[in-house]
Order: sequence, then C-alpha cells, then structure tokens
Amino acid sequence: MRKRLIVFLIAALAATLFISGPGRAADGNFPIYFQNSKLVLKAETINKMTYLPLKEIIEFLGLPYTDSIALETLTMRSGNSRLIVTSNSGLISFNDQIILLPGPVLRQNGRWLAPIEFLSQGLARLTGTEFRYRPGTSRIFAADVETPELVMNAQSLGPITRLTIRCGAPINLDLRRDDQNNRATLVIDRAPVDPLRERIDHKDRFVKAISFDDSDGTPKILLDLTNEVGDIKLAAADNNRVFFVDLIRKTEPITESPVPAELATSPKVDATQPERKVRTIVIDPGHGGIDSGAKGASISEKDLTLVLARKLRAVLQMRLGATVLLTRDSDIAMDNEARSAVANNNQANLFISLHAGFSPNPTDATSSVFIMKEDFGGKFTTTTSSPRDQLFLPWYLGYRASREASARAAKVLQEELLKTVPGWGFPVRTAPLAVLSSATMPALLLEIGNLNNPVNAQTLTETGFQNRLVGTIADAVQRFSESQPAPAN
Amino acid sequence: MPRHIKIGLIVLGIGFAVSLGFFVDIVGRIRSMVNERETEENPFTPPVQPLYSPTDPPMTAKIFFPAADGDVLMTAEDETIFKSAVLTNRAKQILQKVQEGPHSDKMFASLPKDTKIQDLFLSEQGTAFIDFSNTISINHPGGLLNELTTIYSVVDSLTYNLPEIKQVKILIGGVEKETLAGHCLLLLPLEMDLSITDVMPRQDQTAAAIQR
Repeated sequence: MRKRLIVFLIAALAATLFISGPGRAADGNFPIYFQNSKLVLKAETINKMTYLPLKEIIEFLGLPYTDSIALETLTMRSGNSRLIVTSNSGLISFNDQIILLPGPVLRQNGRWLAPIEFLSQGLARLTGTEFRYRPGTSRIFAADVETPELVMNAQSLGPITRLTIRCGAPINLDLRRDDQNNRATLVIDRAPVDPLRERIDHKDRFVKAISFDDSDGTPKILLDLTNEVGDIKLAAADNNRVFFVDLIRKTEPITESPVPAELATSPKVDATQPERKVRTIVIDPGHGGIDSGAKGASISEKDLTLVLARKLRAVLQMRLGATVLLTRDSDIAMDNEARSAVANNNQANLFISLHAGFSPNPTDATSSVFIMKEDFGGKFTTTTSSPRDQLFLPWYLGYRASREASARAAKVLQEELLKTVPGWGFPVRTAPLAVLSSATMPALLLEIGNLNNPVNAQTLTETGFQNRLVGTIADAVQRFSESQPAPAN
Repeated sequence: MPRHIKIGLIVLGIGFAVSLGFFVDIVGRIRSMVNERETEENPFTPPVQPLYSPTDPPMTAKIFFPAADGDVLMTAEDETIFKSAVLTNRAKQILQKVQEGPHSDKMFASLPKDTKIQDLFLSEQGTAFIDFSNTISINHPGGLLNELTTIYSVVDSLTYNLPEIKQVKILIGGVEKETLAGHCLLLLPLEMDLSITDVMPRQDQTAAAIQR
C-alpha cells in the first residue's frame, strides 16, 4: 500500500512538471502586419521566450528554402543571400556571417520555431525589410507599415464612466454588445494600430477590465463590464481621431446627454472641423489629502483647486473635444513628481496646475501665472559631448523641452485673464517649481487669489466667478491650441 | 468536569493574571524611563559659541523680507552684523537677522513662527547647507508666492552679503525635502535671484557676472 502511494506521488509530480514545467507556457495568436497584408501566426512561449513558426513566415514571404532533415538545418534564400538556421542552436548564419539570437531555433515535430528576435536580426537582413517589435506586445510591424498610435484612458465621472480613445489617424468604431456575458467590443475599422498600452489599469463599478486585442488581425478594444452598465454611448470628435465611450448605469435616468452636446450631434467625420493641436490636457488640482495647502476662512486650497479643476475639465471637453485628465479626482495626497508623471505618461500637450494664494498682507489680491525658472538645475548637469548620453536628461530638467511654449501659454493665459478678471494682477512669474520641473510639455501654474484676503476668498467660492474663471482659462487653452503646431502622429 | 481539569484551569488563570501584572508593570517602567530621558538635559549639548568676538569690525548686511507694497515681491533692510573671521559665523548672524524679522512696517516676516535654525554647514564649493526645524514647514501658511519669499529671503540674504556663498541648500528637520509647502523644489541648491526684489546686484557681483 505504501509503495503504491509513493509511486502515485512520483507520477503526479512528474505530470505536474511536464504540464507546467520549464517547457511551455500559454500560447496565443501573433499578427505580423505588412504593407497591404497581414499574417496571423500561432505563437508559442517556450522558456519565457516567444517563438514563431518559421516556415509559415518564409512561405508567406515567398522565399525559397531547403529543409534538411539529415543536417537539421533550414536554409532560406533571397537573390544571392542565404540565411541558415540550425536546430537547437542560437547561432544563425547570414552569408557566412554568424549572428547570435537570444534563444535557440527549435525543430519540433517537423515544425521550425524561431525566437521573435529572428525577424529583426535574421530575416530583416535577408529580405531588406525592417521589423518593429515592442517587447511585451504581441504584434510585429514591417518597417513600411503606417502605425497610428492608439491611446486609451478611462475616467469615472460621477454617474458615468468615460473611456476616451485617441488615434493618430481617423478611424471608425463599431460597438458590439454581448449583454449575456457583460461584454462590449469596439471594433476598429483600420489595421494596424499601435496601442500605447495593451490594457488600462482602471476598475470601477462599471468596468472590470479594458484591453486591446488584435490577435486575429482585427484591432478591437474589449470592455469587460459589470452588470450595472445600462446604455453605452459612443461619440466621435476631432475628425474621428477621438472617441468618447460613456458607460451609463442601468437605472440612471438620462436627463441630458453625458457626451458633450456639440460632439454628440456629429458622430460622423466632419471635414470642416479643424484638427485639434492640443489633444490631451492634464489639469492638476494643487495639494490634497493631509496637505490642505493655504486655508481661507470658508475654504481650503485643496478643495477649491479640485472644484475648479473639475469644472475646467468639463468645459475643455465640451469646447475642444480634448482628452482631459485630472492628476487627482478626489481628496488624496500626491507628490509633485507623480503629478507631472500623469502628464508625461499620457503624452499630454498641455499641463495646468491650479493653486490658490496666501499672502501675509490680507488686502493683497495678487494672482500670478507661473512657469519654470529659466536655466534651473542647469549647473548640476554634467555636460557631455556624447549624443547617446544626452538622451538621458535628469528628471528635473524635463521642463526644458517645452519652456518656450510654456512661456507662450502663460502669456496667452495672462492676456485672457486680464480681460475677464480685472484687478487681480496676473503677472507672469518664474520659480523653481517642483510640479513643473519634470513636465516635458508646455506647463504652467496658475495661483489664483489670496485666501487670506476675505474678499478674495469669498469671490473664489462663488459659482458665477468660478464659471467665469474656468471659461477664461478654456478660452486661453483654445487660443494656445490654435497657435500650436499640430503634433506628429 | 473532572477534578484535574478544574485544577489545570485554575493554575492557567493564575498564571495569566501574574503575567498580565508583570506586563503592565514593565510597560509603566519603560514609559517612565522615556519621560525621564526627555526631561533630562542632554549632557552632550555643546556650549553655545559666540558668533563674533569683541574685536570684529561691524558690517552692514542687507536682509531680504517680503514687501508690503505690492509692486515688488521682496525688499531689503540694512542690518549690522560683525565681520567674524569664520564665514559660518557671519552666515549664522545673517540667518539670525532673518529669523528676527524686519523692523520696518513696509515688510513682513519671512520665516514662520517658531522656526529654528538647527545647523549650518558650508561646503568648499560655496554651498551653504541650512537645516531648519520642521516648524518651517508645519507652521507655513502656504501660498506659492509666500513660500517663494520664505525661501529667497534666506537664499538672497546669504548670497548677497557673503559672496563666498554661491548657492544655498535648504534641509528641513535634518533631511532633504522635496518642497517646503508644496511648491518650490528644494532638492537642488538655489542661487541668488534679485529679479523678485527691488535691490540691484552688488558692483562686484555685477562685474563677476559680466566676466562670466
């Protein structure tokens, strides 16, 4: 009895190792996009490396080849060039030049499997076609293929959740719902697209997961939803480069369109609509959490900036159809680096940090528009002539990339504010600001009013004044957007 | 219930009560030791050294404070310090004047209430490291302009009067802090900025700037 038990345990252990051991992990489809065609392959993950079936690729490309069973080699030809791979070897030979791949080429059951790097390091030399592959993704682009970038962002906006999709080229989205499985699919009519992220880290009461999938060669966005989602509204903007997908609760009475009205009425391509140059704006409500900022008699800086930021987001979305993100949408503490990282990571075209002032002089009403101090931190950077090293700037010098544009944006904002909020000053000042130092896009900070001034503090809490203020900031953003060169796709 | 179980339970209960008594006693002793240590004077505190000697000649120093007049952010008033042979002592005298606040009613104090200067150290490269107590941050009322004037009243007062000090690095509570009140980056040393004041650069500083 005991012997039988031991034998059974050993057999179970062996079976476990065979199934999940060092050999293989999950497999999946892997498209390769060429200029006018695509090839969808079954990829295998072996020893944590992605392997692709070699013969299917070279047959698709129409390359002549010789599969020698005796020598265990596969020889591919193109013109006078020759590329030889050998089974179980990471060394490949291109015209007698040896190239080392990160893993061995395998021959399993008559199938040749090559690590994904074989395309860029071996096949690219033979065919003269470059292949672009980003580690962590599951697609390859041939060099001449146009790949507009796809950016997805999700935000909880009170009763709705809004997914904003921005693409570098005009696209159309086809919404398909599977209510039984609480799923929705947004099929993109253009292939390929290059998603900045494969999935969004966003979960709320409507959303379980949002991910991109093009494993069958058709790009689509998969929404894994909760059963609280009722209606889904889709609206296009910016010549079908921007889409808003609003998830609305089942029981939520729709009193007004949650999608900005001007966009909801024109979901189709509008050729007369000018292309937006400022597509993504990040608004930073200053302070938050345990850091209250300046305190007035009736309001603290952290609450005021959050109110203004939320209003500004709504106005900018309505007017510009831009993707507008807040660094914080609740009363949480954040460090300054994390705030500018929101803008950098989302490739924002404009960053606005909102603050309120506090002066030792309680009659002072000066407000200011700030940009980063010129040449700040320059002395602490070792200068080097190597262009390779110049690629890596210290984080605190990120502001340098767009300081001129920041100064332009500040000037525009100052001019607009002076028109509608007279008597509050608004000089453009420079300072070594932590929140702006590492922002790589045009970035400015508005310090509005003086919470120590009772008149100022009272005015700042009035809804009418707040609406006028955010309307003026939106005017300035629109003016600045029109003066900016269009971003490259 | 059998008798031996009853006895066992009684012994366990007595053991638990005795252990609890010991625990409470030990906690009380530790607390009283901590309190004693806090109230005792630190015997290793070095005696306060004078910042100048009676023979040191007086010199005038410009001490920068936030201006009450809205036209300019900061202005300066002349104060007398003594030209100690030790540069650190001159820097400490200037910081004392900043700490004391302005005498003119056209200016405001720049440092928050109860701010203490814990230490000052000068590097060979001309960087003054100043360690302020945490109160500079805790008691700061906030506001970007207000924070800017707090920082630059220290930076400009030191760099304007002591040309040997090229830049100032502010520490808070003995450690580096990202900001003082959420706005101005303190992770790098700061240089003199007279653009926010109504004070012209000193002649020697102007000449040095032209030479650069």
